Amino acid sequence: MVVPADTIKKGNEGVGPSRPRGYSNLADFASRWSFMMPAIIILMAVLAYPIFYTIQISFANLDLASFTATEWVGWENYQAILMDRGFKNSMKVTGIYLAWAMPIQMILGFGIAYLINAEWKGRAIVRALFLIPMVVAPVVAGGIWRMMLDPLWGLVNYLLGLIGMGNPDWLGNSTLAMATIIVIDTWRWTPFVVLIATAALMALPREVFEAADIDGANWWTKLWSITLPLLAPIIAATFVVRWLGAVKMFDIALASTSGGPGDATNVVNLYIYEQAFRSLRFAESAAMAVIVLVLTMILTGIFLLGTRKLENMY
Amino acid sequence: MKKLNRFKFSVLALIASLIISFPAFAQEGLGSEGNPIEIQMIANEAFANQWQQNMVPEFQKSYPHINVVIDGVPYAELLAKSLLDATGPEPMYDIIIVDDPWTPQMAEAGVLLDLKSDEVAAWTSPDYDWNDFYKAPLAASEWKGVQYGVPLRSNLLLMFTNNSLYEKAKLPAPTPALTWDEYFEQAQKLVMDRDGDGKDDAWAISTYFKRDSLTPTIWQTIMNSNGGSLLDESGKAAFNSDAGVKALETHIKLLDFAPPGAVSHGFNESMTAFRQGQTATMFMWGSVFKGTAVDPTKTTLTPEQVGIQVMPVGSSSGGAHRGIWSGSINKKSDQKQAAWALLQWLSSKEGEQWHANTLGVFPARKSTLDSTPTSEWMAPVFVALKDGYSVAGEGGMWRPRSPKSDAVQQVLADEVARAIAGQISAREALDTAAKRVNKILK
Amino acid sequence: MSGATTISRRRQNAARYVRIWAGILLAAIFLFPVFWMILSSFKLPRDIFTTPPVLFFDPTLETYISYIQRADISKRMINTVIVATGSGLLSIIAGSMAGYALARVRIKGAATFGVLILMSRGVPPIALAVPMFLVARKLGLTDLHITLILAYCTFLIPYVMWLMRGFFVGLPKELEESAMLDGCSRFGAFFKVIAPISIPGILSTLIFSIILAWEELLFALVLTNRNASTIPVAIAGIAGDTVTGANWGALTAVGTMTVIPVVIFALLVQKWLIKGLADGATKG
Repeated sequence: MVVPADTIKKGNEGVGPSRPRGYSNLADFASRWSFMMPAIIILMAVLAYPIFYTIQISFANLDLASFTATEWVGWENYQAILMDRGFKNSMKVTGIYLAWAMPIQMILGFGIAYLINAEWKGRAIVRALFLIPMVVAPVVAGGIWRMMLDPLWGLVNYLLGLIGMGNPDWLGNSTLAMATIIVIDTWRWTPFVVLIATAALMALPREVFEAADIDGANWWTKLWSITLPLLAPIIAATFVVRWLGAVKMFDIALASTSGGPGDATNVVNLYIYEQAFRSLRFAESAAMAVIVLVLTMILTGIFLLGTRKLENMY
Repeated sequence: MKKLNRFKFSVLALIASLIISFPAFAQEGLGSEGNPIEIQMIANEAFANQWQQNMVPEFQKSYPHINVVIDGVPYAELLAKSLLDATGPEPMYDIIIVDDPWTPQMAEAGVLLDLKSDEVAAWTSPDYDWNDFYKAPLAASEWKGVQYGVPLRSNLLLMFTNNSLYEKAKLPAPTPALTWDEYFEQAQKLVMDRDGDGKDDAWAISTYFKRDSLTPTIWQTIMNSNGGSLLDESGKAAFNSDAGVKALETHIKLLDFAPPGAVSHGFNESMTAFRQGQTATMFMWGSVFKGTAVDPTKTTLTPEQVGIQVMPVGSSSGGAHRGIWSGSINKKSDQKQAAWALLQWLSSKEGEQWHANTLGVFPARKSTLDSTPTSEWMAPVFVALKDGYSVAGEGGMWRPRSPKSDAVQQVLADEVARAIAGQISAREALDTAAKRVNKILK
Repeated sequence: MSGATTISRRRQNAARYVRIWAGILLAAIFLFPVFWMILSSFKLPRDIFTTPPVLFFDPTLETYISYIQRADISKRMINTVIVATGSGLLSIIAGSMAGYALARVRIKGAATFGVLILMSRGVPPIALAVPMFLVARKLGLTDLHITLILAYCTFLIPYVMWLMRGFFVGLPKELEESAMLDGCSRFGAFFKVIAPISIPGILSTLIFSIILAWEELLFALVLTNRNASTIPVAIAGIAGDTVTGANWGALTAVGTMTVIPVVIFALLVQKWLIKGLADGATKG
C-alpha cells in the first residue's frame, strides 16, 4: 500500500480515547500512569537523597570526620567558585569542546550510518565492527591515543614524518591538545550516533521511498524531503542524549592530557573531580555541580523546545 | 661462690618470667587454634596483590591464627575511600596504608591510633627499636608529636643516570657532588645526534613536566636544595621567594634539554624515555630502579649502565623528595593487637630485611640499609637512600604537612603546570599559588 | 522497461558500490587504534614505546598471564557482565515504558516528569557518588551487585526513555488504535504490537545501555570493594599505577579483553536486529 509521506499520522498526540478532564475510571488512570511508574520509582528511590545532599552541602561547610554538613554558610561557596579562575576556565574549555564535538559527531554519525546502510552481505558485520570504539574503556582509549600521538614514540608523528609534515606536539600544544580530546571523543562516540541512526534508517518505511522513486525524485530531494523529516525526532533525541553525555566527559581528558598543557583541556567535570577527590573540597565541588546542573538544565530546555518545534514541523 | 649463686638465681628468675609471660603470647588478641582472627587492610592497588600473595603467607608463618585480607584501590581514589570508610560508624578496615602527605588529614579526622601509646607499647616487642629508623621516613606518619604509622614502603625522588650516554658525550659519570651549574653545563653536550641522521635522538633529561600533583615535587626539590622552603614557621606560603621562583625557572629550563613532547611527560613517559636509553638523566622515584636497570623485559638498560644518586647540589645541599607509604591502624578497630602484630612484624628489623630482599621494597631502618642486600643491584640503591634520607630530613623535602595538604598540592599542580606550559611566568604562577594556598591554610 | 530506467539502475548500483567501499574504509580507519591496541598487548613492555614504532617483534603472552592473575580479572569480568546485563535489561523495560508514555499516552503532567527525568542527567555523577555511598552504607548495601545495578539505572533509564520516545513517536498511530479496537488493553497493545515493531530501536538502545554500564567507573569505585568490583576499576588501577608504572602493556591487554565479550554480544544481536526488521516489514 503506497502512502504519501505527509498523510502518515505520527507524532506525540495521544492515542486512544482522549479525556479532556479527569479520567473515565481508576483502572484507566492506573493503566496510563503505570507506564511511567517503574522509571519514576527507581529514580526517586536512588537519586532523591543524593541530589538533596549535594544541594545541602553546597550551602554549608563539610566536616570530613563525619561527611556531614556542619554550619550553614549561605552563598559563600558559590561566590568563591564564581570567582575561581580555574572554574571559569573549565567552563570556557568545555564550551569550546562541545561547540566542536557535537556537530562533528552528529553529522559524521548520520553520514556514516547512511553509507554503511547499503544493502550487501557484509552489512551486519560492518555495523557490529563500528561498535568497537564505543566499547573500549575511556581510560584505555585515552591511553592508546596518547601512545599514538606522542611526538617521540607515536605512530602518527612517525607517519607524518615520512611525508615530511613535521612533528606536531599533539599533547603539549594547547590548541592541538584540544583537538586531541575532540578527536578521541569523536572516535569513541560517533559509533553511538551511527548505532542509533542505523536503527532509525532501518525503521524507515520503504513504501515512501519507492513512491518517490516512481515520481522520479533524485538522491538530493529524497534526502531533504523524506529522509531528514522522518528522522527528525531521532536526530533530536540523539542530539540531546549525546549532549548530556558530552557535558560529562572527563575520563578521556584525564587519560590523555590530564587537563593540560597548563589547563587548556581541563573540562568542567575533570575540574570538579579534582576538587572532590584530590583536594577533598566536597562542599565546593557540590556547589560547582549545582551550577553545572542548572546551566545544563537551561540549555537542555532550549534544545527540547527546538525538538518540539522540529517534530511539529514534520 | 656468692657470685655463682647470684648468677644461678638470675637465670632461674629469667626462666620463671618467661614461663609466666608465655600466656601473654597466646592471648585472644592474636587468635588461637580453631578461633582465627581476620584483619582487613586497605592499600594501593599497585602492591595489594603482591602483599596478599607473598607477604601475608610469610607473616602467617609467625602468626598462624591471623588471616589478612587486603583490598586494593587505585591510587587516585585511595584517600577518599579510606576516609569514607574510616569515618563511618563501623569501619571495615583495621589497617590503612597511607601515602606520605595523608597522615595529618587522617589524624585530624580522629581515625588513627597512636602507636606509641601505652596500649600499643604493651604489645611492642622490646627489640623493636624505634630509634633504628631514619628520622625522615618515620616522620612521614607523625603529626603533632604523635606517631601514627610505621614506614613500610619507602621511596625517594632521586636522580638516575645513564652512564653510557655520559661516556658517549665524553663526560665523566656524575657523582653525588654534582652541582646544578655543572649539571647544566653537561646538559648541553648530552643532547646528541647519535646516528648522524641530522636529528637529535638523545637528550639530557626526562622527568615530570605535565599537569600532575607529583610534578611540583621536582620544582620543590630544586628549591629546597637551594635553601628555600614551602611554608614558613607560621604555616604561610614561603615558596614564592626568589629561591622558589628561580627553582621553577630551572625546572622549566630543563625542558630545553628534554625530548620533544616532554611538556606532557609524567611518570610513565619519562620512565619510558630513560628505559629506551634516550635520556642521560632522569629525576624519578627510586622504587622503579628494578624495572629500569635490571628487568630485561621492561628496559633496554643494564645495571652497569645505570647510576642512582641524590639530585644535583644547590647552594644548600643535594636534593631528594620523600615519598613513604606507612601502615597505620584505625582507632575504632576491634583487632588492634592483631593489626599491630602485622605492622610490627613487617617493619621490624627482620621483617624489613625479608621485605627488602624478597620483594625488593625499599627499607627505612639503619640496620637494614647498613646490611648487604642479597640482590647485587640493590647495593647502590641503599647508598643513595641513606644519602637521600639525611638530605631530605635536613631540607624539609616533602609535600606540605597539613590537613589541607591535598588542596594545597592541587593548587601547586595547577599553577606549576601553567608556568611549565608557558601560559604564565614562573613568578606569576607562584604568587597566584601563594595567594590561593594562604586562603586554604588560614 | 526503457533505457532511462536501466541507466538509473546502473547509477544506483554504482552508488551502492561507492557506499559499500566507503563504509569499509571508514570502518578500517575507525578500527585502526583498536588494532594497535591489540598489537601492543602482545609486545614486551620495552618494545611498546620504541622510536620508531615497530610492527614486528617477539610476541609474548606474559602480559596477559600476569595481569589476569594479578588484577583478579576473571572475577571482575563476571561481575561486570552481571551488572551490565542486569542494569541494561532493567533500564530497557522501565525506560521503554516511560518513553512510550511520553510518546503516546495522554497523561497530565507526564511531560513534566519526562523532562525532570532527563534533567537528572545533568548532575555531574561525581557529586552523587559520595552521598550514594553514605546511603548504601547505612542500608548495608555496599559491595553488592544489586546496588550497582540500581545506581546504573539512574543514568540509563533517562537515556533509554528519551531514545525510545524518539522511536515511538515515529510510528503510525493506527497500530495501537487497531489493536485496541480489537479489544487489547493499553498494556497488551504495547507489548504485543508496538514492542515487536520497535525491535531494531529496542535492541540498539539495549546495546548502548549495556555498553555504558560496562564501562562505568566512578560508581563502581566508590560503591564496591572486593566482592562486586568491576573491570573498569581494574583498568583504573593499572592506568593510575604510581608504583611500577609504564603499564602500557597491561592497559592494552585488559582493554582487549574487555572489548571481546561486547563485540561477540553485538554480533549475535545483529542477527535479531535483521530478523526484527524483516518481521516489521511484513507486518506493514
